[in-house]
Amino acid sequence: MALLQISEPGQTPEPHQRKRAVGIDLGTTNSLVATVRSGSTEAVAAADGSVILPSAVHYSSEGVSVGAGARARAAADPYNTMLSIKRLMGRGVADVKSFGEQLPYRFADSDGGMPQIETVAGSVNPVQVSAEILKVLAQRGSEALGGELDGAVITVPAYFDDAQRQATKDAARLAGLHVLRLLNEPTAAAVAYGLDQGEEGVIAVYDLGGGTFDISILRLSKGVFEVLSTGGDTALGGDDFDRAIASWIAEQAGLGTDLDVKTQRALLDTACSAKEKLAIEESVSVSYGDWRGTLDRAAMAEILDSLIDKTLRACKRALRDADLAVEEVGEVVLVGGSTRTLRVRERVEAFFGRKPHAEIDPDQVVAIGAALQADVLVGNKSGEDLLLLDVIPLSLGIETMGGLTEKLIPRNTTIPVAKAQEFTTFKDGQTAMAIHVVQGERELVNDCRSLARFELRGIPPMVAGAAHIRVTFQVDADGLLSVTAMEKSSGVSADITVKPSYGLEDEDITRMLKDSYAHAEQDMAARALREAQVEAERALEALLVALQENGAELLSEKELDAMERAMEALRLAHNGGDAEEIHERIEALNEVSEPFAARRMDASIRRAMQGHTLDEFDQ
Amino acid sequence: MSEQQTYFDIFGLKPAFEVDRSALSQRYRELQREFHPDKYASKSSREQMLAMQYATRINEAHTTLRDPVRRAAYLLSLAGVEVSPEQTTADADFLMQQMMLREQLEEVRDAADPAAALDDLADEVGGLFRAEQQVFASAFAGGQLEDAKNSLLKMQFLSKLQRQVEELEEDLLD
Repeated sequence: MALLQISEPGQTPEPHQRKRAVGIDLGTTNSLVATVRSGSTEAVAAADGSVILPSAVHYSSEGVSVGAGARARAAADPYNTMLSIKRLMGRGVADVKSFGEQLPYRFADSDGGMPQIETVAGSVNPVQVSAEILKVLAQRGSEALGGELDGAVITVPAYFDDAQRQATKDAARLAGLHVLRLLNEPTAAAVAYGLDQGEEGVIAVYDLGGGTFDISILRLSKGVFEVLSTGGDTALGGDDFDRAIASWIAEQAGLGTDLDVKTQRALLDTACSAKEKLAIEESVSVSYGDWRGTLDRAAMAEILDSLIDKTLRACKRALRDADLAVEEVGEVVLVGGSTRTLRVRERVEAFFGRKPHAEIDPDQVVAIGAALQADVLVGNKSGEDLLLLDVIPLSLGIETMGGLTEKLIPRNTTIPVAKAQEFTTFKDGQTAMAIHVVQGERELVNDCRSLARFELRGIPPMVAGAAHIRVTFQVDADGLLSVTAMEKSSGVSADITVKPSYGLEDEDITRMLKDSYAHAEQDMAARALREAQVEAERALEALLVALQENGAELLSEKELDAMERAMEALRLAHNGGDAEEIHERIEALNEVSEPFAARRMDASIRRAMQGHTLDEFDQ
Repeated sequence: MSEQQTYFDIFGLKPAFEVDRSALSQRYRELQREFHPDKYASKSSREQMLAMQYATRINEAHTTLRDPVRRAAYLLSLAGVEVSPEQTTADADFLMQQMMLREQLEEVRDAADPAAALDDLADEVGGLFRAEQQVFASAFAGGQLEDAKNSLLKMQFLSKLQRQVEELEEDLLD
């Protein structure tokens, strides 16, 4: 088979060339990026040597700044400094109002969807703010690796719902990153520890960050990490510790409760620094204005215990969901800056009855695990030694009569997962229906998170109850939902329009991309072309590797020839300058190679089934 | 992995109620090592799509086979007997026993030692559930599908009660 000469020098990368991949921990308070370089995994430092990038974005008339400089502006310019923006990801205006006075932002009126924050540089949404942070990290990664990134694994709290995950993925897209996988933070931490220490058994990952708490129970067996259960709270973290301590100070200092934004921020800074000092010292003196006082470890324990109790209750629930007793947990891993608080360590140790691991810097462990996974996914490792089986953190359901939730996929089901449900029409001749998808554990729709409303159209008109519409809810390995529908008797696939409750639609992202280029049409076109070229390279390379593996075996000469021609056409388009043309050629190539993909999969199945007879399992 | 393959085929197991749990999880990990979408991250988008579908089916099979109630219902459906979750048994003695157990559950909160009372109840329900699984296993193995179906209806009851016991346990913890 001499036809497989493909690559034009300098155009498509050699298939086995080392790829540039990063792991990104996009945190509430701090973010960072890590990579695997010459065999060792480490966080990437900025030019000034700092590894941690504060998740702060400051908007001014001169432009956008990200990181420590932006954070330093928070007290003086609170309205234009975005802190803890992760808390707003995938949230609606109503959610935001419910944590109202905690957030010193000016929210612009919007149509009930994603919240818009007014700044001197115009209104911005949480996805755009997060994209600014991601851009800085991506830049760091690509400088460290010496070239354009091939892909990134971005971590999210295990407890993030579909809307929050989608918002994170949208932010990455806006920042120009190719997302290999959204990885749950605790799973990433377990990977970082597991690969270092070659452990087997049950691992509990206790992750208390700035704004979120996650507990995950995993089983590690021969390189397979199986998440057994996960739980937590998307609105509980070290920031709440700071607030609790700040209100203690306000109370001691007799400041009252009606405080302006600057006082609030200053109190929070004082509280945070007292908390950090208490990790080293027995007691610290605290002062605010004319007031002076002392805070010792016992007093802080008293302030924090009710918050820590909440986390331990979630631990109990996660153990129950995993069907395990606390004694069966072999290792406990601490993640997140807030686990530096000694009281947290004491209580976790007492609960699990064993000393938790904290050898890897709790601020870096998640990014390091993500980098390891990114290295495998991008194809730098065979990957034989690592597989992550994750779960859906919250039940997925639909609204039924009377505002009740019908659960379709229960929480802690391993993903990917699909569930088909049949619906019928209510009236004669009905051609459309709406399905409201929610996520959460409660019985009333109003107590769950609204994810999206799907409108089914194009149902053939029949008498009421005669149409049978089969709707399939698919959750992929990133934990993201997609929906397809089919009318069974006619085989007509119904059209679905998705209205994400708090998310962005494709047009929104395109518009924001345009905005971010400040109406520079050329930049926009250049970026679209580059993205199309990268996609073309990826498609060509994947196919090239596949052909080398078993093209000769699975394809006839004629098929091979057709594929060659489609590849050549794409290569030509790639070298031309028309993004549209490239997309068309990719689509054409996909179509031609579809049977090949299916045959390759069948071959894998035959291989997987070989050597497994029924008798083998009878022993 | 065609639609015609049963969950038992996928896992290389005989279609019987007794399942070797450790063989099941071992085979599960082997299959996911082969088909999980992560293994296709750098493959073509069509292969990624197929991998997601296969991994989904493997997960579905695993979830069904490791849960006794689902496994029993699946075995019966393979044998052409459908049982809906709303269907209920007509065995009067069994229903009476269920009513008493439910009353016991409601009284747990008022007991002198609720935790101990709940433990006792959990043990009793657990014992009944295991015994009913034995009944199903031998009925199904002996081809007594009607008896097996009746046993499954009881298993559904007991498994639901077991869940309620667990929920109450959780409430008492909080």
